[in-house]
Amino acid sequence: MHAFAGWLQETPFSHTIQDVSWIIPLLQSIHIVMIGVVFVSSLMIALRVLGKMRADEPFPAVWQRFAPWMWTGLCVMACTGLILVAGEPIREFTALSFWIKMALVLLGVTGTALYGRALRNFIGAGPAQFPATAKLASVLIVVLWLAIIFLGRAIAYDREVWGALSLHA
Amino acid sequence: MDVPSIIQSIQDSAPAQWMRTSVKAMPFVESLHVLAAATLFGTIFIVDLRLLGFPDTRRSFTAISREMLRLTWAAFFVAVIAGALMFAANAHTYVGNTAFRLKMLALVAAGVNMTIFQGITIRTVSAWDRDARPPLAGRVAGVLSILLWISVIFFARWIGFTKGYDFSIPQDSHINFQF
Repeated sequence: MHAFAGWLQETPFSHTIQDVSWIIPLLQSIHIVMIGVVFVSSLMIALRVLGKMRADEPFPAVWQRFAPWMWTGLCVMACTGLILVAGEPIREFTALSFWIKMALVLLGVTGTALYGRALRNFIGAGPAQFPATAKLASVLIVVLWLAIIFLGRAIAYDREVWGALSLHA
Repeated sequence: MDVPSIIQSIQDSAPAQWMRTSVKAMPFVESLHVLAAATLFGTIFIVDLRLLGFPDTRRSFTAISREMLRLTWAAFFVAVIAGALMFAANAHTYVGNTAFRLKMLALVAAGVNMTIFQGITIRTVSAWDRDARPPLAGRVAGVLSILLWISVIFFARWIGFTKGYDFSIPQDSHINFQF
């Protein structure tokens, strides 16, 4: 993995990202703006399942309002994220936070897809009509995004956050 | 008390010292700031999009605005507290940092835009609350709000690349990783 990171960091593509000073801050900023879109979209869907938001709207309408923004945001974040990794592969690959984040992203995206497939046609007016598992899944997905956001920032502080567990150590 | 001495007392305060000396404080407070900022932007974005007449046209503007209000203010409150801690840790550096100044300018502009909208444009809301396309003043406020908040985030991220100090621990040091 270290050899791969070293090779990637020496490619012309990676060199361009490292050398042009505004590329990394720009990508990180786009990444953060998209966190706002994706996290809040997911939160709105979850709050609707819990009956705390837009309870007067049928669930499929709420899903249709927010899901496309969520998926588009995730695609943009995958792109900006991939370019950021290509620009600083050693920084990312040697951070424990990065690997846990990637595992949780995989879990979050798969979970959201399954959740959407199960619920998007669910017709129910009130909060009581959603099964407890749907409510639990909603809360879990929001918690998962919270952990992912935290880990994203923690990549910059791997030793501070993980101490002896850090791959930097 | 002049400005430099106020800045100095902020930087000497107990929370500021905690931010500088606790190994875990900075990453946790920064993460909280990013989370709050993302929530702030995401909720404002939903209201702004409604002002632009899409994609929520079946729902009235006031319903969406009211639903988002508490989340937006809660996120703003957390962002300000976390941001103030980060500022205090290195107050002198922040005050002189161009990206930080531009961020504050964009923040004030976003506030002015919101005040004008809430003070003037909103008075006629009963006439356009359910319209798919709110009046020009509303649409302009929506576009300005989106652009200004995106600028706030961009300038904020820029601070991290221009601040001229480094909080990370030297690679060969051995220290205690407690709060």
